[in-house]
Amino acid sequence: MANYYNIDDILTEEEFVPVVFHKAANGVIIDPSSETNSVEQGAKVELPLWLAQELCLRQAVSISVPACFNQKTRLEIQADAACVDLRSRSPYFYEFGCKIAPLVGDKTVEVLLLSAFKIRYKEILTKAYTAAHTATSKFLTLLTKEETNLYEAAQSSMAAFKKWRKGGPRLQRASVLGRKRKPIE
Amino acid sequence: MHGRKAYQLVKDFASGEKGHLKSFNNELFDRVIEECNEHHNALQSLIRKMQEEGLEVQTAKNADHYGALIHHLSLIRNKRCLMAYVYNRAEIVRELAWNVGLLHELPHEIQEKLNETEEQYFKDHSKSLKLYMSQMNLDVNVDMVPPKDPYIKVRVLEDLGSGIILSDKTANFARHSMHFLKRTDAEQYISRDKDVSY
Repeated sequence: MANYYNIDDILTEEEFVPVVFHKAANGVIIDPSSETNSVEQGAKVELPLWLAQELCLRQAVSISVPACFNQKTRLEIQADAACVDLRSRSPYFYEFGCKIAPLVGDKTVEVLLLSAFKIRYKEILTKAYTAAHTATSKFLTLLTKEETNLYEAAQSSMAAFKKWRKGGPRLQRASVLGRKRKPIE
Repeated sequence: MHGRKAYQLVKDFASGEKGHLKSFNNELFDRVIEECNEHHNALQSLIRKMQEEGLEVQTAKNADHYGALIHHLSLIRNKRCLMAYVYNRAEIVRELAWNVGLLHELPHEIQEKLNETEEQYFKDHSKSLKLYMSQMNLDVNVDMVPPKDPYIKVRVLEDLGSGIILSDKTANFARHSMHFLKRTDAEQYISRDKDVSY
């Protein structure tokens, strides 16, 4: 299990998944179509993953595959994974997929994630090492959080390598103070 | 929707720049706690209802049970979000103590973003760090890479006044004056943006 305090993990679990209730539940305002404060058996609702996951383990709901792993996405990824806008589908596409796959019992989700990541991984590293910063800004909007981290890591390692080759000052201002710098005449 | 406020709180933290603090979101924080109380009350009333009907709370799996379960899970979720918010901020505060806090107070614009307990945490952490260093007679906050030369030449960018005590002498750090200092003495000033070495 991921770290309890991990911000990204918490945000991943806020992604919505479609569920069907097998049991009724009283006193909760979850179903927007219901007029009373309750959920009926068989109601179809979208719940955040953290809630759906626990209810699924207790067999109160069943989860179906979320929209971001639908047929359209799959076809696009098969065509050219590197150009698919995964961020708009979910900024935590891979993490979300890993969590959802065992719950829906769909083996194809895992295959999809792996093949998408393999192709995009190569593309991201190539772009990070070679392309100029301005040329990549459009490309960056397609990346998920994980991929953005990867891209930044690749760029900073490249910068560190260049710095090491040229040599440079070791002591620097603490970066938190960066903003307050006043012009010195 | 359940846990929505807590999500916004975490999102608020995550949207900030890495390693930088935003102001403590008191309003949202209190709202989440309020929501926790609401969940707690709803949970209690559902369990009371089950007991009045003479059902065993542990085993009966009726609609009230699942309602109570959802409230319970929402409580746990809210707790996790609150804890993560405070914990991750505390990590940044601790980082600040290492980077800037050992020498002086925090700059004003950072300080006003902390809430009271975080300020206290910052002070205590700096204090225990200083105490440890003075007891061990060791500065644990110096550059990790050993220097080629123990002395460096610095130029003062901002007037720091006279009588600053260094390890082997006192110096007058007037603006634009140049000094030949022990590297360990100069480091703390450089990281605070006062001097420039060359």
